[in-house]
Amino acid sequence: MSKKTSLREVEKRTYMSYHQDGLLDIFVGAYVLLFGLGILFTAVTDFSMWFVIPGIFPAIMVPIWVSVKKRITMPRIGYVEFGSRGANKLMAIFIGLMVAGLGVFMVFTFASRSQAWALTLRNLIISNGMIIIGIGAAAISSLFAYTMGLKRLYVYGLLTLALFFAGHFITIPLEYFLLTIGLVIIINGFVLLMRFIRKYPLPQGDEANAEKSL
Amino acid sequence: MPKNPSNLKNIDRLIHEPTRLMIMTQLYVVESADFLFLQHQLQMTSGNLSSHLSKLEEAGYVEIVKEFIERKPHTTLKLTKKGRKAFREYQQNLKQVFSDLPK
Repeated sequence: MSKKTSLREVEKRTYMSYHQDGLLDIFVGAYVLLFGLGILFTAVTDFSMWFVIPGIFPAIMVPIWVSVKKRITMPRIGYVEFGSRGANKLMAIFIGLMVAGLGVFMVFTFASRSQAWALTLRNLIISNGMIIIGIGAAAISSLFAYTMGLKRLYVYGLLTLALFFAGHFITIPLEYFLLTIGLVIIINGFVLLMRFIRKYPLPQGDEANAEKSL
Repeated sequence: MPKNPSNLKNIDRLIHEPTRLMIMTQLYVVESADFLFLQHQLQMTSGNLSSHLSKLEEAGYVEIVKEFIERKPHTTLKLTKKGRKAFREYQQNLKQVFSDLPK
């Protein structure tokens, strides 16, 4: 085993242990669920709000996530700061996603022109929309799974791909797929949270003041 | 025997001790961690962890910051520049020792 691999393993294990509390899953699941509810709400009321959620949700939920992490996770397993290397990797992913998004936007812009090839492309995208979204979501999920070392994100990616692939053949509105995926991720998050709380009870007595010996 | 036994002398004995090596490795892959986190990760008793951290602090490898958060003692630990350099040198020296061994 090379030293590089060994250090990478320690880094991954550390990252995994900090995200074993399920909070990440609960918040990601809530995001997907609200996105689905937004589309559903738009379809029912004609008031377009689905696009509001991607912008507002992180702004509201990130401070809540930090606060919950401070109250539940840190008193049980302590605090760790990962430094700029991990943050740089995540930033690289976000930039990559933005570039990919821009690419998709360009494809759609070209596809909306009236040339024959553009129309063919547009029809191809529309007729395979569910599969394309499924592949995109699974790819993003896998990218985060690889970077963060969280294997369950691969499972979420596979679930998304399977559901959207099925959605290509079964005519059920997109929002119901999002609601299903969101709910599954939230439920798994709560299961992980319960397990985490049972595994790591709050330190009591001498254990709570362990660092006094230092 | 290694081709150049003097390489063995370059091995930092303070880091080479298994428990301290685990502490150094853990702190090397993060920016900082608190006492509780390190204790959980390394599955060590507080007394054992404290004694090794004190030795690493004396050598200037680890910085220990003590403070009170919501009236509770909180200890943050991080590798110093000297500690990071020493760990990298330890890696290189150990690699050198093994590469000098006859196959």
